[in-house]
Amino acid sequence: MIWYLRRVAISLLLLLSIAAIVFFALHAIPGDPAEVLLSTGGVSPDAATVAALRTKLGLDKPILEQFATFLFAAARGDFGTSLVDDYPVIDEIALRLPRTLELVFAGALLAVAIGLPAGVAAAMGRDGIFDRVASGAAALLLAVPVFVVGTLLVLLFAQVLRWMPAGGYVAFDRDPARHMLLLTLPAIAVAKGLAATVFRMARAATLDALSRDHVRTARAKGLSPMRVLLRHVVRNALSPVVTVLGLQMGTLLGGTVLVEYVFNWPGLSTPLLRAVEGRDYPMVVGIVLTVSALFLLINLIMDAIYALLDPRARSA
Amino acid sequence: MKRIAFPAAFVAALVLTALAAPLLDLPDPIRQDIANRLAGAMAGSPLGRDEFGRDVLARLIWGARASLGVAFASAALACLVGVTLGLIGGWMRGLGEILTLRLVDIVLCFPPILLALLVVTLLGPGAGTLILVLAVLYAPGFARLTYGEVLSVRATDYVEAVRALGASTPRILTRTVLPNIAGPILVQFSLAVAAAVVVESGLSFLGLGVVPPTPSWGLMIRGGRTTMAQAPLLLLWPCLALTLTILAMNLLCDALRDAVDPRARAGGGRRRIVDRVLPGLFPAPRPAAPGLSISHLSVEIDTPKGTIRPVDDVSLSVASGETLAVVGESGSGKTLTALATMGLLDPSVRVVAGQVLFEGRDLLTLDERDLRALRGKRIAMIFQDPMTALNPVMRVGDQIVEAIRAHSAAGARAATDRALELFRRVGIADPEKRLRVYPHEMSGGMRQRAMIAMALANNPVLLVADEPTTALDATVQAQILDLLADLRRDTGAALIFITHSLAVVAEIADQVVVMYAGQIVESGPVAAVFATPRHPYTAALLAASPDSNDPSAGIPGTVPALHALPPGCRFAPRCAHATDACATPPVLEVLEDGRESRCVRRREIFG
Repeated sequence: MIWYLRRVAISLLLLLSIAAIVFFALHAIPGDPAEVLLSTGGVSPDAATVAALRTKLGLDKPILEQFATFLFAAARGDFGTSLVDDYPVIDEIALRLPRTLELVFAGALLAVAIGLPAGVAAAMGRDGIFDRVASGAAALLLAVPVFVVGTLLVLLFAQVLRWMPAGGYVAFDRDPARHMLLLTLPAIAVAKGLAATVFRMARAATLDALSRDHVRTARAKGLSPMRVLLRHVVRNALSPVVTVLGLQMGTLLGGTVLVEYVFNWPGLSTPLLRAVEGRDYPMVVGIVLTVSALFLLINLIMDAIYALLDPRARSA
Repeated sequence: MKRIAFPAAFVAALVLTALAAPLLDLPDPIRQDIANRLAGAMAGSPLGRDEFGRDVLARLIWGARASLGVAFASAALACLVGVTLGLIGGWMRGLGEILTLRLVDIVLCFPPILLALLVVTLLGPGAGTLILVLAVLYAPGFARLTYGEVLSVRATDYVEAVRALGASTPRILTRTVLPNIAGPILVQFSLAVAAAVVVESGLSFLGLGVVPPTPSWGLMIRGGRTTMAQAPLLLLWPCLALTLTILAMNLLCDALRDAVDPRARAGGGRRRIVDRVLPGLFPAPRPAAPGLSISHLSVEIDTPKGTIRPVDDVSLSVASGETLAVVGESGSGKTLTALATMGLLDPSVRVVAGQVLFEGRDLLTLDERDLRALRGKRIAMIFQDPMTALNPVMRVGDQIVEAIRAHSAAGARAATDRALELFRRVGIADPEKRLRVYPHEMSGGMRQRAMIAMALANNPVLLVADEPTTALDATVQAQILDLLADLRRDTGAALIFITHSLAVVAEIADQVVVMYAGQIVESGPVAAVFATPRHPYTAALLAASPDSNDPSAGIPGTVPALHALPPGCRFAPRCAHATDACATPPVLEVLEDGRESRCVRRREIFG
């Protein structure tokens, strides 16, 4: 249990460091932050606007005081208001985060549901036809950028075949069937890279587990092939797959930004991109910190799952 | 090398084309021509025109320039910064080390696209911003790699010596560390370039990367989306270019990694689980015979150096209640003989001749189903290293319960009770608690006791123990041997005990078979063989080191490789008694009182 508390503490420390970087990055660039944020295309903003923004962001106070204020506010979930429309950042996040989470969850589920059995099957039939085809497909999937997959899915299913809408969103409680339909393509796009990675890891881990002595022991006991496979091979191959899942979450969350954009999925990416274009710093900071916290949280969950799967990790 | 040629050629061609873009006779990629908006293939524009009437082929080639330029520049910057940080962190230790490592951890905490977006917010979009962002993203990889290498180089005697001679730190670093990590750095560099192409195109696609009108593949896909319905090809060309580029780079990375790290290469023969777990079906009933008897067993393995025969015409038998020891050095074929009786040979190992009779059936011809019914039930095996032979992620008790329930209809309760009884029988203290622990929470001796309990689970009539005490220390060895002797007396099972230690043979066995380079060289009752050996190898073993763990310690020379065996007697090159007569292959002669010997000069040497 103590190792896990340590992991939690480290994660909190990392989150604090990220908050510090995000905060001080604004001050690290040359020039007055308010002026930097307000200047677009080389046009200097007028003095009154700059002064107003300085007051709004509290830039006139000492920098450490600003940082302390920022930290305490952020800890309460208060990231300030948007520079564009004065809307509270946290309200925007609260509205859109669940939709992003849904996409991430659906994508991860799909990736594991496809990648894991395919990886095990490929390892069992090593160098066979399925292994070659699936390994080739995984290499291709890893090479296609996520937004290319998304765009091509839209082209194929919405434009050419006309089976599905090109994108959009309907709340689940308004029309469950349409909600799921609209979720399908984005979830596939989010899952594509992770599925390939999970496949590769599952294949490698299964091959590794197959070569272990305890598999021979299991066979020496006279267990059925299915039991040997599930209990002594696949079960042991799960831990590395979970590790790789945790490591890939960053890529998955980043990919979600692109996928949401491609499919007009109204998650966090819409306000994020709008904020980046409009240099709406409080909004960017709020979303980046939220997603980073999410990333750390998912990794903590993965650590817990890993410990459940591999008792040796618990005593380490 | 073949694997590296194609992707390397593709990437090289791509880089050359991008570099040569200004020299090629291409239309201006930026000049708009609204009249030819979305035009198909036309003179001078083989791929047609885009939504502003710009030439698609020219934009693709100039786009490669933008993508690759940003990718290579950022990877180079990341490499420079990362390697420097890694050198500083690894060499300075203390605060420098902590700062470097933590900085790396923090950067790795950001999802890459988000970090990029944060920087774009502050600096505005553009190629310069992209290079900076990507360098920050990929520097940690280089830093970690370098850091690890510095740590291992620091510890070498060579560096200690050079330092003692007063060499300066930068000199040591550049002379010793950098050449060592050149290979991995190259791999890391290619990975960074490939990843940078992905992120660059993604950001450009979002309109936050390369600034229009500069052509870039990401921007072309962004533009193609709007005219998808009228001109789907506009979308497909940049998608194809991007995907092929990344695919070629990934393949190049894989090939480079394999070239740099030979361990990463998939080794060994082909192994499919269908071969391992479900071999062919060949039922064949045989007349009844007591105990286990192996006759004329030979197995072969195909190796790159030719087919070898690690078990050559081996015959042995063991009766109920009896212990047969099989002695020999590593590679003598004793373990393969044991695995063959269990039907657990690796599919790369072929049985080419022989019979293994057990309870009236030839185990070599049984189908997998029938073998499975025997394994763990009538025949059980104890393996050498219980640490690896037990499943590390399963409770020991569950592994034993599993063995019980594989062969009986016992419920979970009854099986657990039986496991508890077995644990008591093999002398494990506090058995209720030990059933619930994992293998790594037990001591070596206790693990082997658990392994033995598992083998005993279904009252087998034949136990095959493959060096069960080799991995244990001396006192524990003695306890385990006592336990095995005890159990055999109580259960009346036959025991085949494989070992390389003559001391162990003397302690536990009734009969002994001595193997050398795949053949039996001598066999007989233990007392007789020990008192009056009938083969120079046995004699040498006994004379050399009766108590040593390495039986060949006192015998000059080494065991011959199986693909380069001497033409006659296999032991002749190491034998003190060898003459010209030994150049003809000796046969295994049957002697008085059930003994055997394979030596042409037996009578002259031993009388």
